[in-house]
Amino acid sequence: MAPDHTSTETSPPSSSTANPVKLRFARLTKTFETPSQTTEVLQPIDLDIHEREYVVLFGPSGCGKSTLLNLVAGFEEPTSGQILLDDQPVAGPGNDRLMMFQEHGLFPWLNVMDNVMYGLRWERAYRFKPRARTQRALELIQLVHLEEFTRSRVHELSGGMKQRVALARALAPDPEVLLIDEPFPALDALVRAKLYLELQDILVRTGKTIVSVTHDPREAACLGDRVVVFTGRPGRIRADIKIELPRPRDINDPQVAEYAGKITAQLEEGANEKGPGTAP
Amino acid sequence: MKKVQERLLKYYVVGFYLALIAGWQLLFSLELTRDYLFPSPTSVAKRLWELGGDGMLWPSIKATLVRMAIGFSISAGLGLIIGMLMGISRIINSCLKSLFLGLQTLPTAAWVPISLLLFGLSDHGIYFVIIMSSVAAVAIATADGILHIPPLYLRVARTLGTPAYAMTYRVILPAALPRIVTGVKLGWTLGWHGAVSAELIKSSVGLGFLLYMGRELNDAAQVVAIMVVTILFGLILDRFLFGLVEQRIRIRRGLERTG
Repeated sequence: MAPDHTSTETSPPSSSTANPVKLRFARLTKTFETPSQTTEVLQPIDLDIHEREYVVLFGPSGCGKSTLLNLVAGFEEPTSGQILLDDQPVAGPGNDRLMMFQEHGLFPWLNVMDNVMYGLRWERAYRFKPRARTQRALELIQLVHLEEFTRSRVHELSGGMKQRVALARALAPDPEVLLIDEPFPALDALVRAKLYLELQDILVRTGKTIVSVTHDPREAACLGDRVVVFTGRPGRIRADIKIELPRPRDINDPQVAEYAGKITAQLEEGANEKGPGTAP
Repeated sequence: MKKVQERLLKYYVVGFYLALIAGWQLLFSLELTRDYLFPSPTSVAKRLWELGGDGMLWPSIKATLVRMAIGFSISAGLGLIIGMLMGISRIINSCLKSLFLGLQTLPTAAWVPISLLLFGLSDHGIYFVIIMSSVAAVAIATADGILHIPPLYLRVARTLGTPAYAMTYRVILPAALPRIVTGVKLGWTLGWHGAVSAELIKSSVGLGFLLYMGRELNDAAQVVAIMVVTILFGLILDRFLFGLVEQRIRIRRGLERTG
């Protein structure tokens, strides 16, 4: 499993395991303690995520996958173990590990342009350079095809457009890792199918390292280079499935459905076994 | 369909006021009531005209407005600072909120006697009444606005790298702004009540003073005339100054539909 650190060639996302490790979880555990009870949310997690890789954390609700994302984003602190970004332990929230939330969270007091620019204000490269900020924001607004809406107010946009603005805002400061907590949950099927294709297109073009969380096996198979299957509380890794399909993948593609079946099967096996699951 | 009805509503409102004034005048024209008991609209209008001509009216309006501008600016600033402290600390919020809610049950005029004792007949006493009448409304609204900010905005701001020093003015105040403006609007109205109440007793110029003079001279027409002017200025500032700012913010954020 040791990653090849000497490899410097950039390869397409589908074979990105050859890339250096970007994010490493080392014996990571998380326990929530309240005066009345102690809840073990994550059992020791060991996982490597490589540069330019899209890893989907998949599992039933309550398996700790969202907690894992919060730990990476710095909103929570691990009980034991470490999270390493480029071999440096992470501490506190920061835009090198930028998180996209289930709800878009766009600021209603800013228009589309100002929302996308928001995170650039404190970036070293853009500090005190309003023109460079505008330039960068326009690039990203073009990337998500919303050029006509730069001056629009948030409430004037559709649900799908809001998610695209949120994506543009998250990509603007060029984070090392993009964390996505359930992409596009509150959208109808047609809009989602289109957004999945768009998201993949954007990801290939920007070459970001991404970790997302879902409980939809189809979504996992459609978006991930790897799908890490978690079993119920306390969460632990049950399987690590590589999705070897060309991109862009359509959510309705039969091959995606086939992988989704494999992912679900792992989850069910895990649920049937009493003992700790072993990653293949 | 709905637009047509709303258009018609305007005419009903105008018609209502015309009918009100006409009915009022009719009471006198038909000699159902006497002019020395209650003034007729024509005598009120005449007195208003005279007051304007005497050079009594405008300086009084100006005096009251200047007092409000000074007193309420201090009050809004204080209210904002206290409200922000309440928004930051739950302890401060619990302690001060009960105190402010208690003080708010006090009629604004009830601050006048204590201001006389503290400040005598100086203008400072009027500022004191304005501030005490309105500061609680602004502080409570600011605190509520901050406490009701969706936690999502704060998390988004942190993940986007907002430094702690910038959180207040980049996220917390903008997010709380609609409620703060509503509180400032309410505070203005309460302060206006306070200003006129204070002027009734301890001033030699101002709308409240003209009301007092009218009573001293047994001039019912002047009393009603100044009441009308006080209502009009209160309304104009409430609706057209604070009301429009409030509506603009709400429309920009999609909290209220346009049109």
